[in-house]
Amino acid sequence: MLSRLALHAAGALAPALKNAAPLAPGVLQASRIFHTASPHLAPLPPLPEHGGKIRHGLIPEEFFGFMYPKTGVTGPYVLGTGLILYFLSKEIYVITADTIAAVSTLGLLVYVAKKYGPTIAAFADKLREDQLAQAEAVKQASMKGISDAIELEKKQQALVAKRHYLFDVQRNNIAMTLEVYYRERLHKVYTEVKNRLDYHIAKQTMMRRKEQEHMISWVENHVMKSISAQEEKEAITKCISDLKVLAKKAQAQSQPVL
Amino acid sequence: MNENLFTPFICPSIMGVSTLPIIILFPCLIFSAPKRWLPNRMQILQIWLIRLITKQMMLMHNKLGRSWTLMLMSLILFIATTNLLGLLPYSFTPTTQLSMNLGMAIPLWMGTVVMGFRNKPKASLAHFLPQGTPTPLIPMLIIIETISLLIQPLALAVRLTANITAGHLLIHLIGSAALALMSISLALSSITFIILFLLTILEFAVALIQAYVFTLLVSLYLHDNT
Repeated sequence: MLSRLALHAAGALAPALKNAAPLAPGVLQASRIFHTASPHLAPLPPLPEHGGKIRHGLIPEEFFGFMYPKTGVTGPYVLGTGLILYFLSKEIYVITADTIAAVSTLGLLVYVAKKYGPTIAAFADKLREDQLAQAEAVKQASMKGISDAIELEKKQQALVAKRHYLFDVQRNNIAMTLEVYYRERLHKVYTEVKNRLDYHIAKQTMMRRKEQEHMISWVENHVMKSISAQEEKEAITKCISDLKVLAKKAQAQSQPVL
Repeated sequence: MNENLFTPFICPSIMGVSTLPIIILFPCLIFSAPKRWLPNRMQILQIWLIRLITKQMMLMHNKLGRSWTLMLMSLILFIATTNLLGLLPYSFTPTTQLSMNLGMAIPLWMGTVVMGFRNKPKASLAHFLPQGTPTPLIPMLIIIETISLLIQPLALAVRLTANITAGHLLIHLIGSAALALMSISLALSSITFIILFLLTILEFAVALIQAYVFTLLVSLYLHDNT
C-alpha cells in the first residue's frame, strides 16, 4: 500500500508517469524474482560435510533446542513418554500381533545398523576415495606426461647447443677422407709415371745390350774370319812353348825349397 | 484393529480412492540419481550394488538378451525393495497380491516366448523335446513339455505371492501367539518371541531371495529364447 502511495506521489511529480497507472500492479510485483533463465548448473554450491544432528536416530536436535527454554532438558522426554502412555491407555494405539512383529523387526534393524553401520559407511567412503583417486591419477599422469615432455624439450635444446662438436668432427672426417683420396691419386700418378719411365729405361737398356752383343759377335766373327790358318797354327805353337817355359819355371821354383 | 487374519493383504484406500499406485511408486523415492560427480554414501552404495547385480545377471546373455538389462534390473530392484519395505510394521506389500505378480510374470514370460519364436523358431520348438528321448515316449513328452512351458508364468507369480504372503502370515501368527502367551506364561512368550526374531531374519532373506529368483528365472527363459 505504501508503494502505491509512492507511485501516486511519483505520478504527481511527473505527469508522464500518470499513464503508468495500469502498470501499477506489475510494478508492485517488480520486487518478485521471476525465474526467466535456466539456473546456473556450475559451480554447484558445496554440500555440508555432515547432516543435521539427530538424537535417538529419529528426532532432530532442533526439537530439543526448541523445547529447552520452556521445559529444560527433560521436556521432550516427558512429552514422549506422556504421548506414548496416552495412546496406549486410551487404546488409540492397540497392542496387537503387529506390535510384537514391529518390536522384532525394528529391533533387528537397529541391531544391524549399530553393528554394521560403521563398516558399511567405511566401505562407501572407500568407494568414493577410489573414484577420487582414479581421477587424481589421471590428472597426475597427465601432469607427469607434460613435465616429462618439458624435460625432453630442455634436453634437446641443450643438445642443439652442442651440435657444433658433431659438425666439427664430421668436417674433420671429410677433410681426412679427401686428403686420403688426394694422396692415393698422387701415389697412383707417381706409379704410372714411374712405369712409363721404367719402360723407356728398360727399352733403352735392352737396345744397348742388343747392340753390345751384336757388336761383340760381329767383332768376334770378323776376328775369327781374319785369323788365317797359318796364324792360328803359329799362335798355338807359341802358346805351347810359353806353357813349357812356364812349367819349367814352376818346377824350378818348387825345387829350391828342398 | 485387524478383524481377520488377512486384513494386512487388503489394498488400502483413503475414502474409497485406492492408494495402490502411490504405494507401488513409493520405493523409487529410495533410489536417487547422483547429481554431482561424487555421490553421497547412499548413492554410492546403490550404484555399487546395482553394478554388482547387473554384472552377475547379464553376463550370460548375448547381445539380444542384454537389451533386456534395464527391464530385468528394474524388476529385481522393484521386487527387492517392495518386499523389504513390506517387512516394516503396518505396511502393505503389493507383491502379496496375485494380480500384480501375474501382471509382472505373464507379460515378461510371453515376451521371451514370442521373441524366441520370432527369432529362432526351430530352436524354440526344439525345446519341447529334450535330447535323447526314446521314440515311443515322444508324444507324451511333448505334451508334458508344453504344459511345463505354459505353467511357467503361473509358477513365477504364485511362487512370489505365496512366499511373501506366507512369510507375512507367519510373522503375524507367531506375533499374536507371543502376545496371547504373555498373559499366560512369560517364559513361553519369550521363546515365541525368539522364534519370531529368527523368522524375521528369515523373512529378510526370503524377500531378497524371491526377488533374485524371479528375475533369474525370467533371465533364464530369456537365455533359452535368444
